[in-house]
Amino acid sequence: MAVCSTTTLSIGGSVFSGQLRHWEPNESKLFQKPRSRFRCLCLNDLHLLRFRTKTLNFNPRGSLLPSLYAYGKEADDAFLSKVNEDTDEMFDDLMKKYGEVVFRKNDRKSPSAELDDDAESLSFAVEMAKVASDVKAADIRVLFVKPLVYWTRFFIIATAFSRPQIDAIGSRIRDLAEKKYGKVPSGDAKPNSWTLLDFGDVVVHIFLPQQRAFYNLEEFYGNATLIELPSETQPPFHT
Amino acid sequence: MGCAIVVHVYGGTPTEATPQELICIRVIGASNCRYTYIGDVIIAVIKEAVPNIPLEISEMIRAIIVRTRKELKHDNRMIIQHDDNATVIIDQEGNPKGTRIFGANAPKLRQLNFTKIVSLALE
Repeated sequence: MAVCSTTTLSIGGSVFSGQLRHWEPNESKLFQKPRSRFRCLCLNDLHLLRFRTKTLNFNPRGSLLPSLYAYGKEADDAFLSKVNEDTDEMFDDLMKKYGEVVFRKNDRKSPSAELDDDAESLSFAVEMAKVASDVKAADIRVLFVKPLVYWTRFFIIATAFSRPQIDAIGSRIRDLAEKKYGKVPSGDAKPNSWTLLDFGDVVVHIFLPQQRAFYNLEEFYGNATLIELPSETQPPFHT
Repeated sequence: MGCAIVVHVYGGTPTEATPQELICIRVIGASNCRYTYIGDVIIAVIKEAVPNIPLEISEMIRAIIVRTRKELKHDNRMIIQHDDNATVIIDQEGNPKGTRIFGANAPKLRQLNFTKIVSLALE
């Protein structure tokens, strides 16, 4: 007989609160094959990251030990029938029905602090764009991609016409970032047809014209907000 | 550490217009390494290919492993496991050969300086 209780489940130190119940092997005939893993949802900024973790509760002889599964607060037998459907739909239904946050990171900032961080990153991005413009990079675009991706705030996309020019733009950007802001980028150290400098909140992409047309990041991030730069940082596009 | 992808084992590629099945031959940066994990660059040979792509069967390529069935343990003690083994084909400079990347990618790729793959990923 299943017993419902509110408890917490710790997976590798992460704590998930919710309703857990013990699943007995002879309780439900709906399972053809018991699931060996379940997903937990994490809220990271505006994006949901789904992780698949492993439960290791199987007896080596093949019979099943009682396994723990997380359900909603009003779990019932009718809901059990949905477990055989796609787990994506199951979790979508759960989120729509309850709208609860299963896990929240403790380092979440207040909206005003987020805005301050965005403003700081924006000023950094605009300054890097100006440096690229000084080295005669073409078609410089600054995109606000924070609503689209969780791992950065701004993209700077620029075109250079030769590998020495890419090297010059990259080294000028690195020098200024290190001297003025104390930031050291990760990414490409050697000049490349697509050179990427990752400053964390700001990612700089420097392309040769063929690579820019090939990868077409502006179309991929078409829903991102284009930041208007001061007019002197936007030289006419060389065709 | 257990094995993730054993050399000479099949894996797939999740980028657009790329082969379906590869076999790993060698791991770059390690001599006689038997196992590979997420973020390793490998030499692979194409075993099965979809039609109308610029790559052919039996062609030797470089690829980066982006997903493994073997669980990956993070420093924050979270364990992530995928349903398949998957790679992204790259050229000699390290740039992806495809223009878009499908499927989930581990956050570890950004830490290993593969931000280009993360930039092109849909998820």
